[in-house]
Amino acid sequence: MLIEILQQTINGLAIGGVYVLIALGLTTVFGILGIAHFAHGSISMFGGYLTYFLMTGYGLPLIAAIPIALAAGVLLGALVEMLAYRPVRHANHINAFIVALGLTMMVEGINLQFFGHEQIVIPTTLSRVFDIKGVTVPELRLYVILSAILLVAAMMIFVEKTKTGQAIRAVAENRDAAILMGVNVTTIPLIVFGISTALGVAAGIMVGALFAIAPGIGEGLVVKGFAVLILGGLGSFPGAILGGTVLGITESIAAGFISSAYKDVIAFAVMIIVLLVRPQGLLGRAP
Amino acid sequence: MNRPLTTLVWLLAFTALAMLPQVLSVKYYLHLSILALIWVIVAQGQNLIQGFTGYVSIVQAGFMGIGAYGSTLIGIHFGWPIWATIAAAPLITALFALLTGYPSLRVKGHYFAIVTMAFNLIIVIVLVNFRELTRGEAGISNIPKPWDGDRDAYFYLALTLAAAMTLLAALIARSRVGEILRAIRQNEDLVGAIGIAAWKYKLFAFVISAMYAGLAGALYAHFQGFINPEIFGVAQSLDAILAVILGGTGTIAGPVIGAFLVVFLPELLRFADSFRLILYGLILVLATIFMPIGIVGVAKTVLARLHRPGARHDG
Amino acid sequence: MIIRTIAGAVALAISIAAGPGLAAEKKLAVGVADALTGGGAVYGLPQANAVKMAADEINAAGGIKVGADAYKIDVIAYDDKANPTEATNAVRKLIDRDGVKYVLGFCCSGSTSAVASFIAKEKAVMLVGNAAERSITTQKIPNLVRTRPPADYTGQAAGTFIARKGHKRVAVVGALEVGFYSQYVDAVEKELKKAGGEIVAREVFSLRDRDMTPQLTKIRALSPDALLVVGYVEPAAFVYRQSVELGINVPRYGFTSGSEEQFLRVTTSEQMEGVWDLRPTELTLLSASKNGIAYHENYARIFKASPSPSSPYAYDQLYALKAAIEAAGTVDNTEAVAKALRSLPVPPQVVMQYQPVDGKMFDENGQAYTSNGAFQWQKGKWVFVEDLPSDAKAYSLFLGTLK
Repeated sequence: MLIEILQQTINGLAIGGVYVLIALGLTTVFGILGIAHFAHGSISMFGGYLTYFLMTGYGLPLIAAIPIALAAGVLLGALVEMLAYRPVRHANHINAFIVALGLTMMVEGINLQFFGHEQIVIPTTLSRVFDIKGVTVPELRLYVILSAILLVAAMMIFVEKTKTGQAIRAVAENRDAAILMGVNVTTIPLIVFGISTALGVAAGIMVGALFAIAPGIGEGLVVKGFAVLILGGLGSFPGAILGGTVLGITESIAAGFISSAYKDVIAFAVMIIVLLVRPQGLLGRAP
Repeated sequence: MNRPLTTLVWLLAFTALAMLPQVLSVKYYLHLSILALIWVIVAQGQNLIQGFTGYVSIVQAGFMGIGAYGSTLIGIHFGWPIWATIAAAPLITALFALLTGYPSLRVKGHYFAIVTMAFNLIIVIVLVNFRELTRGEAGISNIPKPWDGDRDAYFYLALTLAAAMTLLAALIARSRVGEILRAIRQNEDLVGAIGIAAWKYKLFAFVISAMYAGLAGALYAHFQGFINPEIFGVAQSLDAILAVILGGTGTIAGPVIGAFLVVFLPELLRFADSFRLILYGLILVLATIFMPIGIVGVAKTVLARLHRPGARHDG
Repeated sequence: MIIRTIAGAVALAISIAAGPGLAAEKKLAVGVADALTGGGAVYGLPQANAVKMAADEINAAGGIKVGADAYKIDVIAYDDKANPTEATNAVRKLIDRDGVKYVLGFCCSGSTSAVASFIAKEKAVMLVGNAAERSITTQKIPNLVRTRPPADYTGQAAGTFIARKGHKRVAVVGALEVGFYSQYVDAVEKELKKAGGEIVAREVFSLRDRDMTPQLTKIRALSPDALLVVGYVEPAAFVYRQSVELGINVPRYGFTSGSEEQFLRVTTSEQMEGVWDLRPTELTLLSASKNGIAYHENYARIFKASPSPSSPYAYDQLYALKAAIEAAGTVDNTEAVAKALRSLPVPPQVVMQYQPVDGKMFDENGQAYTSNGAFQWQKGKWVFVEDLPSDAKAYSLFLGTLK
């Protein structure tokens, strides 16, 4: 029983790490611009597809393809902000949401057009499996969990220690005050979208390597990402990290001990119950 | 526009629609028109909660599903006539809306949107997995159709109900309740401050909008003769939001126009073949950027300009 | 430039003038409704391709011959996203607007059932492909036939096979929320029980799931004798990989119909070694039949991808339709063509290995049966090991009793 619980926790950590990265991207955009960036999942998957394409089409090794894909993510994110979201910045938030829906369809369509309908798996050579007293951990899964932790740490350091990071936080906390303090509110959204999309691309690569990328996977992930945001508190970084981990492990425990058919229902029920008890989410600021 | 002129435009539009079965030689377009009329009902309901109250709900298709399955299953298990089951559908949906509305409406803004979306996902998962009742993903075939599947007759049924529901929405919008709903959209705290229990009105709007969806779902089921959970997913709930936005948020004519758009536009784009999805997405993005107030909003602005040359339209 | 324009105009004028006189140039529009985008496209797109390929072949060989006329086939394919509403719209458009009388394709059960629910009232013939939901052919729709056998026809044979191997405690993980997959498992369970065995777990995954370690961890703790994986290829491949990673070391059986390429994208060949696939004898790399080999080659050449194992269900539809139209001697009388389909011997050009019932490709229910086979993964390839004991005639009678 203990082994099973430990195993299920390890199982849930990998997808939990992916949720955390997706949610971090979403929560940055949300906290600073108030946009529910629904296209985030599909764009993240585009990054995963791109990595695969660089490797199989141009023969690049994974280690070379990743930085190119991340850089493309930064660029793509900035482009999306400039062309799609900036024009609706002063309109009702629902308009930005519709733009996000339109973008989702476009990106899903583009992914399908360029990368096909068959699922793709980013090839890796990591196939060892560690067995620690009955709890099995595939090497690849371990690296995915570790990379997620590393990226989260890097993100935290960036926000806490760098000037740009602090400016981003200032805008997130109080937009008007930030303007008064001389923070450039034109470049901040560009940077925010760039970073959040790069995080998404990282998640896309992890999904592509450990699992697979296929039509619809990105949309599924973004829904989970939003659930994480609600669970942890909209706009909260620590909330996204805690929320993503909790959701990943909840799903795995629910599937293993209660019902695999209803595992998503259980995950959403947990989210709704948390919301009833703490309407601002686990780590969100009280409204 | 003044009242009599508006009434005249509505009457003309109704008459034009009523002549469609005689005019349309290709029945495919009649088929789409019936779907569009069903979507008019969904969109009017969505507009009550999204447009007037300012709460973006993403569960409308889920409620359609409850209405569709409710009507179908009552018919199968209790042998009620079609009319009775269609009438029961909004009531069943209202019950579910009460249960889901309570927790959902404790939160606002994006929280509300995402919680309702979670409910839509839950509804679909239950419809898929509760196979003893719903027959799961395979769906329910041979749902009875009135008038032996005569499409002209069904068109008039859908038209009548869509018109009635539009009228009801207009009445609600003009009433004191409608005023309070709009006040909630503008400043909910203020509504609370003057001693009005805002939650009662929000719940009312949420439940009524769900009843609209439930009715539309039942109409869908007895029109198509087949339902499965796929039809009632989040993607279709997003269509309801689109219909309201594209047509014109918070107007009565907007959802009507928007509903026809979300049904016809993807069909018209079939020529684009594999680029259909990309093109549809692009149109949405461009429309939202360049026409954020919806078609009715644009039309109103244009008309106002024509009436008072040089005058600026606001509101 | 001017000369070319004039020449073009003259050519056009001649062709218009000659049009009615040239009986050989008649066209027959054939519709395809299938999932060309979205999750179902894995099955739908290859099916649409297969129909186009068959149309080109038939046209090159002179078309469909009705009396003195020869009809060239025009394929109109619409995307239904495997969604019931979209499928209904697509078929309505084909029939009402494009004037199509024959609709093919249909990979996925929900969208197919939606169209099946109204097709009986239309002057049209519907040919279903990969959609395996049983109820599609239990409704006795006179103008509908299906090339793929229902899943439980295969499940029964699979159950007998697994029971014969002596397994008593079988754990199932699969897309059990999908009707036909659970029908398959129900049929397996029935045969297992006859032999004193049981199914100890029924774990579920959905089309978008790729992490099945929670389900497999639970199964590992139950220590079953065997694992049975039923479901779409794409998630199923992960079940095989993750079962090895979790150290589940029992014989593995499946009902997935994936190609070698589809599995090797996800797993190593070692992780697949010894896995059984108990399924209709669809297309494999080591296809026994001559038609299968030619199909594989042509498809790969034209579409630059290897065909999905189930895509010939759609290819065969068009050859069956051609034979039926020629037998009925009409393209306009759909009732006669539908009737001809139900009394058709298996045409020689088809790729799948059909088991005729009373000498006919489609039985009274409009259902065709292929033989079922036990395939095993051996050193990177699916190898046909033996025929599964399946009785098309008996199943056909059983299907006829359902409603």
